[in-house]
Amino acid sequence: MNNNRLSKRWFKRVPLVAVVGAALVVLSACSASTPKASTTPAASTKPLVIGISLSLTGDFADPGTAVKKGYELWADTVNAKGGVLGRQVQLKIVDDLSSPTQVVTNYQNLITKDKVDLVFGPFSSLLTVPASALANRYHYAFIESAGGGPKVFAQNLGNLFFIQPGPIVKQGDVFADYILALPAGQRPKTAAYPSLDDPFAQPIAANIQTRFEAAGIKTVYSATYPAETPDLTPIMTKAIAGKPDVIVSGTQTLDAYQQVKALIQLHYNPKWLYMSNGANSPVEFPSKVGAANTEGVFSSGDWFPSSTATGSADFIKAYIKKYGGNATGIDNSSVEAYAAGQVLELVAAKTGKVDNATIISTLHSGTWPTLLGDLSWDAIGEPQGSYLLVQWQKGALKPVYPAAIAQASPVAPKPNWAG
Amino acid sequence: MHTLIQGIILGVLTGGVYALMASGQTLIFGVMKVVNLAQGAFVIASAYLAFSLFTQFGIDPLVAVLITTPLMFGIGVVGHWLFLRPLRSEDANQLSLLITFALAMLVEGILSMTYRTTYRSINTSYANKAFDIGGFSVSAVRLYGFIVSCVLLIVLYIVLQKTRFGRAIRATVQNPQSATLLGVDSVRVKAYGFGLGISTAAASGSIYGLLFPFNSGSHYDLISRLLSVVVLGGLGSIGGAVLAGVIIGVVSSVAAVTWSPTWSEMTFFVVLILVLLVRPQGMFGRVERGAL
Repeated sequence: MNNNRLSKRWFKRVPLVAVVGAALVVLSACSASTPKASTTPAASTKPLVIGISLSLTGDFADPGTAVKKGYELWADTVNAKGGVLGRQVQLKIVDDLSSPTQVVTNYQNLITKDKVDLVFGPFSSLLTVPASALANRYHYAFIESAGGGPKVFAQNLGNLFFIQPGPIVKQGDVFADYILALPAGQRPKTAAYPSLDDPFAQPIAANIQTRFEAAGIKTVYSATYPAETPDLTPIMTKAIAGKPDVIVSGTQTLDAYQQVKALIQLHYNPKWLYMSNGANSPVEFPSKVGAANTEGVFSSGDWFPSSTATGSADFIKAYIKKYGGNATGIDNSSVEAYAAGQVLELVAAKTGKVDNATIISTLHSGTWPTLLGDLSWDAIGEPQGSYLLVQWQKGALKPVYPAAIAQASPVAPKPNWAG
Repeated sequence: MHTLIQGIILGVLTGGVYALMASGQTLIFGVMKVVNLAQGAFVIASAYLAFSLFTQFGIDPLVAVLITTPLMFGIGVVGHWLFLRPLRSEDANQLSLLITFALAMLVEGILSMTYRTTYRSINTSYANKAFDIGGFSVSAVRLYGFIVSCVLLIVLYIVLQKTRFGRAIRATVQNPQSATLLGVDSVRVKAYGFGLGISTAAASGSIYGLLFPFNSGSHYDLISRLLSVVVLGGLGSIGGAVLAGVIIGVVSSVAAVTWSPTWSEMTFFVVLILVLLVRPQGMFGRVERGAL
């Protein structure tokens, strides 16, 4: 899930995305006719075809493949149960090469040539922005699990539903909730905020900083570093100069590992360390910083193998049966994609229909229990829930806050680095 | 003050590694007048090699240098024979930019196919260790990397100054026609010079892999940095590359600890521009001839 908060490239490509997207929209407007979104199925035996463009090659090939696994696992699972309203689910997945122009072509073809019944979203905000705008034009519902950046919601689309608990920039609010719920005497007095200059990293730390400062926690360091910064040790040297009680790091992946390594080498152990991303990867984080050094680090996310959310245990069992490996190796992108399918199933069960108009009108109200907890959306598809606060305890990520989902108590102060 | 000195220590240690990487780059320019845009890709390829040797066979990345250096030398010689030798000498300077860029793409593609795009890092037992020297923290990896870089730079110096092969390279740098007239096989010297330049990527790659997580696309940031170091030092000057490597390390580090990380990279480029305004050929560059 870290990778869908990608990246520097995101913004660099935005003008190109906008131009190409706009051009294609204009072209399609000039074309002969606009097909209507599919309506109720003609026959109950007709398969339910869902078109999806995914990044199977190019920059997002790894996370794109993880999303594909999630969609396919859901299709297998639902088909084994007899399909959606008696219709077998058939996925039509095409490769977009991680390209924001190809993704538009793909959805255009899926909708106008292949006339798929429904579409699911691609990987990354970069591709979701033009794809969702196109789908909106054809009145297709756009259920997507991997595009939660600010630009996605800035489009104000009524057909889009982001399948995660909240907008990405609010991912860290749960850490602020936890700290500010502590008795005043136990709260940190000082804080440092070293953050990556990235739309999916820095705003998360900035949100926490605003709330901490309002609560009287003094800021001793706050700075944003560019993504191409090769070495974070000098930055962390300055960040710890004021001996902060808590370090709140707006990180992605690489920089999270580098921050931890720098802190270990500088022999500085804060009482609390929260990292927005990177530290929430069950496999990559321990492999990059050393398993023993993960102890006590906080992060946040939407799903973890120990989750007790709806269908989680069954999902893990089915995943391992189909793909092998173990629960900790499951990429969150797969889980989120699977949850997209769950949402569709829930709409069908509630309304007895799976047409686009019904999906769009139904999902804007109510709460929908999925692997990622209870989801709900506002008018522009922005999820209204909150993420889970997790902490590394004895080599595993444990949900520790809010209390309703906690499987362990938060440990503070943080145990010292193993070195 | 403590933070400033800590920043300088970090900068010198990191700069030593850049110096090693850039020395290969500048050597290739000196011998062949080729700006090798694939140097960063070869550093990353070496980092992957060190990663594989460590994870598959448990060979320490700094020991793996003994294996990867001759291997990269061979790859360099073959790469020269395949891609650069066929160029006509009058087109070589311009076309070599394209060729070496294509070579970088090729290496990146092979690495992406082989290792996927996930970031890798080499976690040895000493990866996170740091020595406490006079109240300052000195990372073990950086210190070892710095020492290895210094040793290899000295070896490179001895090869160039004290051996027949080194003399042939220096003669080719200073005047290719005269060197050929005096019996130097310039084609062979260029191939070996290219190989020698690429072989410095081996050790740099091992150290880079120990210091930073990397993936196949990491070479883009690296090559822009290496080119800056080489230009600052003076194209073709190994001594200049070493000094410029240390300058880039120290300036970036000191700016980050005293000022702002956003300006850390910018500060280096300000130094680069100022030096080039005064000396367009770089600190140790010569206007017409090489200066090894």
